[in-house]
Amino acid sequence: MALTVLVPIAVLLMLPVFWLLSTALKSPQQLSDPSVALWPSPAHWENFLTATTFIDFWPYLGNSLLLSTVFGILTTISSAMTGYGFARLKGRGKSALFAVLIAMMMMPAIVTLVPTYLLFAQIGLVGTYWPWVMWGIAGAPYLIFLYRQFFAGLPKELEEAAILDGCNRFRVFWTIFLPLSRPVIITVFVLSFSNVWGDFIAPNLLLDTSNTTLAVALAGGYVDSQGHPLNQLVAAGSILYVIPVIVIFVLAQRQYVQGVSGSGIK
Amino acid sequence: MHEVTAATSSVDVKSPAASLPRTHAKKPRRGGPARFGSSVPFYLFVSPWVIGTVLLTVFPLGYAFVVSLTNWDGLSPGFTWLGLGNYAQVLADPETWASLGRTGLLALIVVPATVVGSLGLAILLNQKVRLRAAWRTLIYLPALVPPVAATLTWKLIFDRDAGAVNALTGLFGAEPVNWLTGNQVFVVLAIVLFWGVGAGVIILLAALQDVPTSLLEAAELDGASAWRRFVSVTVPSISPVLLFQVVTTTIAVLQTFVPALLLSPMTGPAAITSVPIANRLFMVDVYSQYFAYSRYGYASAMLWMFFVLILIVTAVFFRLGGRAVFYAVDPNEEGKK
Repeated sequence: MALTVLVPIAVLLMLPVFWLLSTALKSPQQLSDPSVALWPSPAHWENFLTATTFIDFWPYLGNSLLLSTVFGILTTISSAMTGYGFARLKGRGKSALFAVLIAMMMMPAIVTLVPTYLLFAQIGLVGTYWPWVMWGIAGAPYLIFLYRQFFAGLPKELEEAAILDGCNRFRVFWTIFLPLSRPVIITVFVLSFSNVWGDFIAPNLLLDTSNTTLAVALAGGYVDSQGHPLNQLVAAGSILYVIPVIVIFVLAQRQYVQGVSGSGIK
Repeated sequence: MHEVTAATSSVDVKSPAASLPRTHAKKPRRGGPARFGSSVPFYLFVSPWVIGTVLLTVFPLGYAFVVSLTNWDGLSPGFTWLGLGNYAQVLADPETWASLGRTGLLALIVVPATVVGSLGLAILLNQKVRLRAAWRTLIYLPALVPPVAATLTWKLIFDRDAGAVNALTGLFGAEPVNWLTGNQVFVVLAIVLFWGVGAGVIILLAALQDVPTSLLEAAELDGASAWRRFVSVTVPSISPVLLFQVVTTTIAVLQTFVPALLLSPMTGPAAITSVPIANRLFMVDVYSQYFAYSRYGYASAMLWMFFVLILIVTAVFFRLGGRAVFYAVDPNEEGKK
């Protein structure tokens, strides 16, 4: 019964994707010809190749990959550490700090981004990748929260034996807790990777055309000499741009759902 | 967020594991004097986040506040102190209220649609559906598409010449509409945002699956209809998650910037000044004050006021929501709707 509603809705949600593909396969003439609607024939698959040569596609993709991976790895580890600290360690002022963490989850990202750009411009970090390294090391509140929920749910006895054996806190964290949190690790990496991959404002502000990411290049790159967008290339480039994130998510799907719902907001 | 702090289960480092056999020798503990020493590991672990937050959030916000007290244009070395002059000017400028109004309207339309939509989809997926994982993936996929690609996709669909919408209406003899100008472009923006409706589905689906079946069965035995069961059992049970979804979606919509910018007819640096009036949301305004008009001081004041506004909105939501939300762990709270 539910299927009768689900199927049309899923189709509706997927229609834009189909339209994107059909646009990517059209020639400029087919684009302005109103009679060519759903599927152009001939289908110009070479548009995908053109999309990669019209702009410095591969270098920009490489930049996106580098930033997303570096940030993803750094954040995954750093957020785990902080989440572990909140979940399993005691400290003075911990509940106050935790309240701050929750508050920061609600902080609109854009509000800090422009001031951060202003500050970084003063100290010469604009045009470099260091901001992402710093953001990575700092971790992200929502991701820390995911880890915290997960670690808090593990049995209390887990570290007691190890500590009695003389293990220091970091070894306990690294060798016992971290490996247990695989679904959360994968979730956090997927989220942080796709966040940087999709980010437009930060690279738009902080990077220039020589080292910016694919997100920015895609937004303004496929234009002709008068500045008019070349829609078939925009579509083809967008599809290529989106594929890595989709692939990663589909591969990590099961862990992702587990990570989000298991250590969820409940 | 009461249930979050109630669930804190931190391990007490100092108390020995009394359940272990006495024959197990106790190694001496590390750290200095009892009080201070036991805090050290905690602070070591959270230090990257604390230091990072101070450097990357507190400092920039503070710097922006200082700038907001001047008339700095971002380039010249000189500026004058204006005290709270910028703030007064922001409040007096009708353009501020206009963009705030547009932003609020967008939230008013998109937030209920998105929350109700993802709840509805979660309910559907919660039925005994075959290939649930596949449907869930399909529904979630648009939310995965990066905002840049999503905006460009819908921009193509609503393109006057090459777009699907005009092709469809053209079949019925309608004239092609220029969707990317006038008030229509606001509708396009709302659609772009709504396309990500699947994002909340995963969390809501998990919450739905946690509704105690014993309660639902008891209600059914008592003769409660499906709707009654939904309203009196399911909704209170998932209300913390629902509140979280409402708050986070609202905050996200209020700070919309990238889709509004990328729907403008021009690309590159000219984009910000050619955003159609209907899409000049608050953050679009802030951005243009910074980078199109070089009014760094003025824009920083706008930014700070926006920040305070979001804090207030969040606080109000949680205060109001706190009365309506039912926490299973707190026996003192009454389930109200």
